[in-house]
Amino acid sequence: MPTSSMRKVMRRNERRLLLLVAVWGTLLQANALLAQIYLPKPPPEPSQYGKVILDNHAATGPGPVVFDHWLHRSKFSCRLCHVDIGFAMQAKATGISAASNREGFHCGACHDGKHVFEGKTIFAACGDTAEDKQCSRCHSLGKKEARKNDYKEFTARFPKGIYGVNWEAAEKSGIIKPVDFIEGVSVKKAPMQSREDFAVEPAFSWVNPITFSHKKHSVWNGCELCHPEIFPAAKKGTIRYSMFSNIEGRYCGACHGKVAFPLNHCQGCHASGPLWAP
Amino acid sequence: MFKRKIVGAVLLLGLVGPCAAQAADEPRRSAAQADAEQKSWEKEFDEVCSKTQDAMTFSEEELKDLIRRCDALLPQIEKLDESQRKVHLGRLRKCRGLYAYVLDAKGNEKK
Repeated sequence: MPTSSMRKVMRRNERRLLLLVAVWGTLLQANALLAQIYLPKPPPEPSQYGKVILDNHAATGPGPVVFDHWLHRSKFSCRLCHVDIGFAMQAKATGISAASNREGFHCGACHDGKHVFEGKTIFAACGDTAEDKQCSRCHSLGKKEARKNDYKEFTARFPKGIYGVNWEAAEKSGIIKPVDFIEGVSVKKAPMQSREDFAVEPAFSWVNPITFSHKKHSVWNGCELCHPEIFPAAKKGTIRYSMFSNIEGRYCGACHGKVAFPLNHCQGCHASGPLWAP
Repeated sequence: MFKRKIVGAVLLLGLVGPCAAQAADEPRRSAAQADAEQKSWEKEFDEVCSKTQDAMTFSEEELKDLIRRCDALLPQIEKLDESQRKVHLGRLRKCRGLYAYVLDAKGNEKK
């Protein structure tokens, strides 16, 4: 027969256990909630991935522009547009206007009705002559007119990866040859020196290390697109790169998750995926 | 009397004529000057920013010199028309930023 003092101890222990379970449960729920917030969102359909809606003058002009990254990235390097032509990496930071296009900047750097690409004259963006007025070709959001290039048709012969087109394989096989120079816009440079690839050791033992292809990234981006604005100079080990910062759009997340392959594609960087992967 | 008037008119024309011609020539000259200035900063811009691919191979002194040349270009680019200024300021910022980044990285390596 338990004495009254024993009963007291048992009740106290029960209360403590209950409290422990409650705290543990709350922590688990908080953890799950945080994971919801910080897990990369599933990417849209490959045809919609990297789509940019430019609505600088939506209220008064011909309506927002729909820009498909997949079409332009098959023809030009990232560096050409984001360094030489001056398209910012953040929304609404470029300040594109019909006037700047007509003056030969931004879209007008190529879309001037004069530049010839793959044997065809590139149509003029925001041209002011009657034959140049093809506004709906770009200002197409919510318009019924079919866009000239269809993703499925355009990428039909491109090698596919786990998520849409495998752009690296497409370039390797010679199907695409992204141009990195435009006469009158780009600065003539010596060919890019091959950069050494390097390993990025993860902070956690349950994540596979990354083999970062400096070579591939520098060929498409040059040096100045990433350094120092995306990856600033810092003493080794002082900046902690994490999936959290990537999801927030910093570091690798400046491109991956927006235009370059999505962050959910673990094997794209962590060569053999997470350690729990089969 | 009449002769005096003729001489006066000739003198006046002689004085005013070259001034008027000079005044008419002024915009043409300033346009040419602006064109030359444009070409000169563009040449310097191309020269400075064509070396970004090799930034890692430069010595600290060479990098400092490139940064100084970028800084010297800034006031000239700031004078340009809006679109050209916007594009070239962005390009210059990236170009200067890279040289400063490599300089910093070299400094960090030494520490």
